[in-house]
Amino acid sequence: MIKKICNLATAVCFLALLFGLAAAFWILPDSPFSEAENRTLALFPEFSFETLTDGSFNAGMTEYFADQFPARPLFVRIKAESEIAAGRGENNGVLVGKNDQLAVRKFRVYESLLHQTPDMDYYYRSNVDAAIDALNAFAADASLPVVTILPPRSVDAAASAFTYPGEITDVLHEQLSAGLSPATGYIDLLPLFREHYDAGEYVYFRTDHHWTPEGAYLAYREIMKGFGMEDKILPESAFTVEEIPGFYGTTWSKSRLKFVEPDTIRYLSPGNEDEFVTDCLSVKMVKDEAGRPKKVKEIYKSFPGWLNRDYFTVKDKYGAFLDGTHNEQFISIPAMNRDREALLIMKDSFANTLVPYLAQHFDLVIGNLTGGVTNASELAEEYGCSRILIVYNWENLITSGSLAGIH
Amino acid sequence: MVFSSLLFLFAFLTVTLALYYVLPHNKWRNAVLFVVSLIFYGWGEPVYILVMLLSITEAYGFGFLIAKYRETNVRRARAWMTVSLLSNLAALLFFKYANFFLENLRLIPPLSEKIALIEGLTLPIGISFYTFQIMSYTIDLYRGQTEVQKNFVAFGTYVTLFPQLIAGPIVRYRDVDDQLTERRETVDLFASGVRRFLTGLGKKILIGDTASRIYEYAKASADFNATALGAWMVVIFYTLHIYYDFSGYSDMAIGLGRMFGFRFLENFDYPYISRSITEFWRRWHMSLGTWFKEYVYIPLGGNRAGRLKQYRNIAIVWFLTGFWHGANWNYILWGVYFGVILVIEKTFLLKRLEKLPKIVGHLYALLLIGFGWILFSYTDMAAGARCFLALFGVGVNALSSPVIGYEFLHAVPFLLIAVLGATPLPKRIWDRLAEHDWVSCGAILPDGREMPVTEDGLALSRRGKVFAVLTTVGCVFLFVFCVAYMVDSTFSPFLYFIF
Repeated sequence: MIKKICNLATAVCFLALLFGLAAAFWILPDSPFSEAENRTLALFPEFSFETLTDGSFNAGMTEYFADQFPARPLFVRIKAESEIAAGRGENNGVLVGKNDQLAVRKFRVYESLLHQTPDMDYYYRSNVDAAIDALNAFAADASLPVVTILPPRSVDAAASAFTYPGEITDVLHEQLSAGLSPATGYIDLLPLFREHYDAGEYVYFRTDHHWTPEGAYLAYREIMKGFGMEDKILPESAFTVEEIPGFYGTTWSKSRLKFVEPDTIRYLSPGNEDEFVTDCLSVKMVKDEAGRPKKVKEIYKSFPGWLNRDYFTVKDKYGAFLDGTHNEQFISIPAMNRDREALLIMKDSFANTLVPYLAQHFDLVIGNLTGGVTNASELAEEYGCSRILIVYNWENLITSGSLAGIH
Repeated sequence: MVFSSLLFLFAFLTVTLALYYVLPHNKWRNAVLFVVSLIFYGWGEPVYILVMLLSITEAYGFGFLIAKYRETNVRRARAWMTVSLLSNLAALLFFKYANFFLENLRLIPPLSEKIALIEGLTLPIGISFYTFQIMSYTIDLYRGQTEVQKNFVAFGTYVTLFPQLIAGPIVRYRDVDDQLTERRETVDLFASGVRRFLTGLGKKILIGDTASRIYEYAKASADFNATALGAWMVVIFYTLHIYYDFSGYSDMAIGLGRMFGFRFLENFDYPYISRSITEFWRRWHMSLGTWFKEYVYIPLGGNRAGRLKQYRNIAIVWFLTGFWHGANWNYILWGVYFGVILVIEKTFLLKRLEKLPKIVGHLYALLLIGFGWILFSYTDMAAGARCFLALFGVGVNALSSPVIGYEFLHAVPFLLIAVLGATPLPKRIWDRLAEHDWVSCGAILPDGREMPVTEDGLALSRRGKVFAVLTTVGCVFLFVFCVAYMVDSTFSPFLYFIF
């Protein structure tokens, strides 16, 4: 009898789950955007004879199902926490260390645009060598003083939080130190950040791959020293701390480990943001008098200071720095009514938190390396810059080829 | 479409189950299965539905001619069978092997300029499986082992039946001919199908896919830093991956079949507990082995025509087995590799192995199976050779590296579970405690024995009842976990501000 009952129960439970979830899927409204993942979600694909026969409808349906699946965050969480429970020590290539420090360990590394690897520990030495060669050549040609900082990844800086071996960190660190010429003004940040991290300072986020504003302050000091402006460094006491709690960063999104506590952004405010303006520029093709196409830069967005505080109320809180202008190509931040030296920053997003400090000394001209801007010499000339700063973190170094294009 | 996808479970399967059980009669139910199977098949490449329909129609049509002449004019029946088989094989040869032959012809210098590959030729999924199924009908019919199927829908359903369409098991026509027209769907059989399906889903998603990720990692790492440990990880995790993936898929097929009242033969029987390669091939992908034995080996004379002919037959069968797996030299080599081992075992090794302690046989078989998977998984044979040598520390940078060691150590708990799960032990213990075989009830064993769907004789003890409930609850949890992993596998945070 019990067998019959259990068989009936099995059939009913299975069908209930199957039809229940299917019904929930079709009935619940679709959401167009996932804040937790920072991306738009797939909607019902376009249906036509063409899309059906070329397979794009089918592919679209697969994505649509995955993206709009009911209770998706719950399911993703179940998976993440079972991976940790099974002793894997990580989920989706994200390590969980002491004090809930998260760090991405595996990356899809870059060799060429055509070659995709699975998530890896190792990286292509040749790709990093190409970046080193490009930087060396660029610095040798530049008539201006150059400072290069390459911020390490969380897994490198916060290494003491993990049992993960330092093999890759050591190899990459060694390759950079040995390869970069003195002309690049390369400043090795790894020992400095490790020392401060190990002393319990909050220099890297636990849930995000960036450094904190305090970490950026450390780097700022080193940059100033690199430019021989040690005497101009502003003490930490010159800034007032503004705390923005509840920050869950990119690494957390990737790991999906709910039990991890959020970060707090401790923004060091110089208190004079209203003296500055951020202009975002893009390149536009126009025709000159003779009808030939020519490129001009055009301001398409402008805002006071360098922060968009609206971001502090949503998930992507790091986006507040430079208004989340991660993909903008050029940014110029002049101080109003002051005549100052101009600094060209060729950067990735790590530089966004450096802006509040550096803007105290220079008018900033920013070219986004990860946005494909590599013509540093031209930019420096165009804007009359007298110094050049290069900021590019290790993750980008191994997962993209942008820096190798700098000239 | 694959079974282990959200789209299959929550769109395709729900609709199919609803349509199927709403209709009252098997005739209509077959029509439902036929139509949805075509949709299932055409999901990736709609055009290839036509190829399949053509093959079905040929075999169906020629079937009448074979049946007509097989009593009166055997030669004619034989001729029609040959025509039918060749026309079916033609599609397989063209789509799967044409470019392989052309590529090899191009290696001959005077031809290399003159021969061009056929462009845009992609392999229709499952063509190797359904072609063999169709052939089994034609041959069984000629041999008088089955009757001609007059109902086109029933025959079409047999060939296209979505549970076994794209990855087997290869169901012989005569094993299901009765079921096509007369089968009984019951709650008990359905529940047993659900349990079997979820077992397979769990094997594929929770273990097979995880093993695959570790395998991919180790394989890619070898390009950066070749280590002996890394090479062993490639072998070990590929060995686990392919078993859990493939046998999980067969479990799902068998389970789905039961949900619709079909009872298919088993396809895997714990292959990795074998003590010889001969035993391994009796336990691995049994429906393919049976097919080759029945339709190639025995017709060629099998082992009854003298030693020499037997070896020839073994050579042919294993060349074909390898070639069936893929149009590439590494698959051929893989088949031949096993053919050679089987001959060696037959001549003397098997007898010697039996005298040695059991563990020797296990290690011997596992190692040879593992080496075989290197051949199988590397279509680039030079890379395969490097991996093989690396196992013994030849051509490596080091025996291990810190990060690869780290990856391995953190995979150990998973590895233990996966290894244990590839033996009959967990199931045996569960069945003993539960006093009932919940997963295999309703199965048809390789020797043809039918396991009863429900045993009504013995009443369960208190413990048995507890385990009955546990089994049921376990199914729910297993399903939820599988869905969680499926949802996650497409979970891809777009980290735009990484730039």
